Formats: sequence, C-alpha cells, structure tokens
Amino acid sequence: MAIVIQPYTADLVCAVKAFNQRLAAGGIEPRFYFPEQHVPCWLPKLNGRRIYQEFHLAVEDESVRGGFSLKYQDFWLRDGVSRVGYYHMPISEGIVNKTYFSVGVQMLRHADKAQPMLFALGMGGFNRPLPQMLKAMGWSLHAMPFCFKVNDPAAFIRNIAALRQSALRRSLASFATRTGLGWMTIKTVHWLRSRAKDPAVCWEAVAGFGSWADELWEKCSPRYLMIASRDSGTLNILYPPDKNFIRVRVSRESHVLGWAVLLDTQMAGNQYFGDLRLGSIVDCLAAPEHAFAVIQAATGALEERGVELVVSNQSHAAWEAAFRSAGFLPGPSNFIFAASRKLAEKLGPLEKSRQEIFFNRGDGDGPANL
Amino acid sequence: MSLPIADRVRGIAADVLEVPAATIRSDSSPKNVALWDSVRQLNLVLALEQEFGVQFEPQEIATMTDIENIVSILRRKLNDHCA
Repeated sequence: MAIVIQPYTADLVCAVKAFNQRLAAGGIEPRFYFPEQHVPCWLPKLNGRRIYQEFHLAVEDESVRGGFSLKYQDFWLRDGVSRVGYYHMPISEGIVNKTYFSVGVQMLRHADKAQPMLFALGMGGFNRPLPQMLKAMGWSLHAMPFCFKVNDPAAFIRNIAALRQSALRRSLASFATRTGLGWMTIKTVHWLRSRAKDPAVCWEAVAGFGSWADELWEKCSPRYLMIASRDSGTLNILYPPDKNFIRVRVSRESHVLGWAVLLDTQMAGNQYFGDLRLGSIVDCLAAPEHAFAVIQAATGALEERGVELVVSNQSHAAWEAAFRSAGFLPGPSNFIFAASRKLAEKLGPLEKSRQEIFFNRGDGDGPANL
Repeated sequence: MSLPIADRVRGIAADVLEVPAATIRSDSSPKNVALWDSVRQLNLVLALEQEFGVQFEPQEIATMTDIENIVSILRRKLNDHCA
C-alpha cells in the first residue's frame, strides 16, 4: 500500500465521492464526509489573501483514503506576526476499514512536517482519536471554557439533552418547569452572579468592519499572547454580509470599545440544544479591561432578539471573567485547543499561557459549525 | 548483546498494544489484534522511533501494516543509517 499525501485537485473529485460512499456504507454520518469540490467554498486561496484553507488528500493509486484541511492565517504571537496553520476536518478510511488504520497518523505527520506551527480546535472531547493522537505526538491540549446564560428557563429545561437523559432527571425537570422552581432558580443564580451593567455602554448593529476595526485591532492585539488577525479585511472575509452574522459595535460615549459577532439560530432536534432558539457569541474583540462591556452589550443584543439561551467559548482569562460577571455560568466543555510542539514552544507552558491566548469559536471551522 | 530487531519490535508492540509478548507474531496486524487502532499505531511508531533512533516518513507509516512489514522497514532504515 503506497499512500501519498497530495493537494486536492479537480481530477480527484470523483475519487473523493467514492471515498464518501465507502464512509456512508460504513455508517459514517454525512457531516464527516470530505468536500466534493477541490476548491474550498469557505476561505479559498485567492490572490493577496492572507487567510485561506487548502485541502489535502491521502491517495492510494487512484483511490482517496483520507483527507484534511489546513487553514492558514496570520497571528499576533508573543511579540510579532507569525503564520500559523489550523489542522481540521481530518477523516480517514481507517474508521471503516482497518486496512487504512494508519492513514490518520500519516496525514497528521505530513501536516506537522509541512507546517510545524499548527493548532487544532474543537474535536469533541479528550477521549476522541484525534486528541489522543495529538497528545501522543507531544501536542499540548486543554479544554476551552464554555459558558452559557439562560434567558428562558422553561424552554431550557425542556430542551437541554443533559437534563433529559434519565427518567429521574426528566421528572425533576418537568416538576421544575410546572412549579416555576426552575425559572426562579436559574434567574436567581444568574442575578447573583451578575455585575451591575454600565449604563454608558451602548451598541449598534453594523453592516461590516471598517477602519474603526483596524484601529481597535492595532491597539488590542499586543495585549494578547496569541490572537488570530482580526483586522477589517480578515473580518469581512470571515463574516461576510450575505451570511446570518449579527455584527455589533460597542461604544462608550462615542469611543469604540470593541465589537462582537453573534448568531441567532433556531435549533431543530439538535443533539445538545434540542429545539432551543440559540444565541451564540461567535467572536469578539476589545482590550481585556473592556471585555465586560462587550459581553454585556452582545448579550443584550441577543436577549432583545428573543433567544432562549446564549452560549460562548472563550480561552482568555479576562474574557472568561467578563462572562461570569455578565451572569454566565460555566458548562462542561468538549471544545479543545491543541498546540503543536513548535507552537507550544513559542507559547510556553499551556497551564499558564492558556489564560493569555485569545481563542473563541470564531477561530474554528467556520459558519457551518458555529 | 542486544536482542535481534524482530524481537525488540515484538516486545515494543506487546507493550504498546497491551498484550502478552508471546501473542505477537510476524503476521500480527490491526486485523487480528483487537486493540490495535490508529492511536496505538501512532504510539507504536513513536516508541519505535525512540527505541531505534530513527524517524519514519509518512509514506513509511502507511506501509507498517503488520509486524513483518514494520521489521523490514526498520531494517532498511537502520541499514541506510549505517551506510
């Protein structure tokens, strides 16, 4: 078996379709299939663009046995700009056919060699194969804090999967909903944890990011140990106007403090959120001392729209604290940040540096998975 | 005197795959060793690299489909090293 890793080219589209069919026959869900077009729909490599992704395939003769994507972008890292890759969407035929069990290892090794400054994000929990492989290869891993705020306790209790997993939990949840006890408990906890709002902070929805966002980026980026480029050019690519993103600019007395990108999504039979109307704080930026103002404004904007639950993942300690101050509660996180050896060397011990790096869901797989 | 390469590979594989060394044969592979999955394959590759002081290329990892293949790849690499 001679498998080579190579760029995904047009002549391999049919082989990728056949690969996906073999995955389907093995019972793999469609969301894991590899894209059936060689040019990525999201972040294709275009002239002059600093942020893009490239697909790579593991090819045996004329058959595709696996694939992965590398997203490249500029990061502010420690004291300057560095190019860092994001290893994502890896899928190997090894999950349905043991003959190809080593393809996953081969792809990871190839990516690590091609771009030693790599990270991975999400991955669904430490016990999944990819995080285990990354750990074996000496990558540093940690779970990115997840937090949530309930705006409609009855809907929350009705829909959240974790509350409906056993008969006992289901009956307790029903009791809490019927008596109003759940509503009272959740609202009390949020209220007790919330800091007083700053009445001078205001927000407005904006159609895109302009020079004000560039000024903010210049001022804020050196305040973080590691942060992906969030200048206006990058932001307008990541959050284009034709998608459902809500862009919010946050100010105090006409002075721009920061921004947030939000989503308001009606879930339908989601494995975690049931049929909730879910608000997510996808991305944001401000100096650490203005994190609370941005979270307060972003949460207010989502609450005004009538979302039942607001969720977010944030790695930086100041932002985590800001979420707590805005009444958010910590939840179990399966959203993992993993840094390659080379990247971890730059960052220093992750136990400490993880609180100084700035990552959130906006650094992940893009619109489909936010 | 150090053990022959094949015996050392079998010993490492037994440790990584958490099975008695006596059960590892030259035709042992993921198809007949239940615990041999992609994560353990990576652990095996890393353990062999450390033990023999070599680094496997991604293409070589793809051909490490059973103990016999692993031993022959290692022999070739070690000979290249010495040459």
